[in-house]
Amino acid sequence: MKPRIAAALGGLLGMALLGATASAVSAATPQRVKVTGEVIDSWCYLTEIMYPEGTAHHQCAIWCAAGGIPVGLLGDDGTVYIILKMGTDTASVANPSVLEVQTHKVSVDGNLIERDGMNYLLIDKIVADQGIVNLTHDDYGIQPFGE
Amino acid sequence: MRTILTTMVLLAALAAAGAARAADSWGLPGEEEARFEAKVVDMLCELTGDCPAECGAGKRQLGLLMDDGTLILPLKDQVPFAGAAAELADFCGKRVVADGLFATNRGHKVFALHFVREAPEGKWQRANRFLPKWAAANGVDPKSEEAQQWFRNDPQVEKLIAAKGKLGLGIEADKKYLDSQ
Repeated sequence: MKPRIAAALGGLLGMALLGATASAVSAATPQRVKVTGEVIDSWCYLTEIMYPEGTAHHQCAIWCAAGGIPVGLLGDDGTVYIILKMGTDTASVANPSVLEVQTHKVSVDGNLIERDGMNYLLIDKIVADQGIVNLTHDDYGIQPFGE
Repeated sequence: MRTILTTMVLLAALAAAGAARAADSWGLPGEEEARFEAKVVDMLCELTGDCPAECGAGKRQLGLLMDDGTLILPLKDQVPFAGAAAELADFCGKRVVADGLFATNRGHKVFALHFVREAPEGKWQRANRFLPKWAAANGVDPKSEEAQQWFRNDPQVEKLIAAKGKLGLGIEADKKYLDSQ
């Protein structure tokens, strides 16, 4: 009887360890970063279905963020990040605090997690907010309907 | 006659199985039709281990975790200007069959969800559940013009555009620009 109990306990312990290992593997290692760039709509930017930057695209970017499309940050070096957290707020679907800075040029501190070709950004703090500085409407109109 | 009947039965069976539920082309760059099984996960939970109940109850982006460990964040559903979180929320923690389009551009491969069903043989749902959910949340008929143009009528959008304008530079800047057109 005792060996069977020991075996059962050992099995449970093994399963618990396996579970812990699997959890540790699925949680990727974050990297501290500081990023400066423009807050963008990820879908329009990455598919280029329309002109996706600055004032020309601001209204559309608001619509898309309110509709739950992931909001991105286009770094000055061209790197695209997907924002999954803003400060202590872990909401990333139609988050009002993210919509407030849509199209702004911001500098942020946070954690970067790279996985399967995407850059996920967990912002701790916006350290600088220049507002909207990318004036593109004279060249591109108001995307996508012109009004 | 037997051949016709057999064909009809086969077609009916295929329709019932949802075989016709395939994504239509959107003409995206590097577009590929795709259908795959995956588990619906809370993105932040999967990446960091921070895992609230119900995948964040609609407030978090949801991902598709494939059996080989590949994590896909769908960016889009079939509703204009809407994402896929509302489409996947009801499947939190479940395995689904996702049907849609991959697009590859600017060094990234992204996914638009067109249809989804619980794996392996659940009923196909068109990925347009955002609209009835938005309509219910805002007390309007989902078939109304107001709901169809949800992006112009969303309270959060209306408030922001009223305050900062379509260009984000203020109402006066909008007026000056639009008057010049």
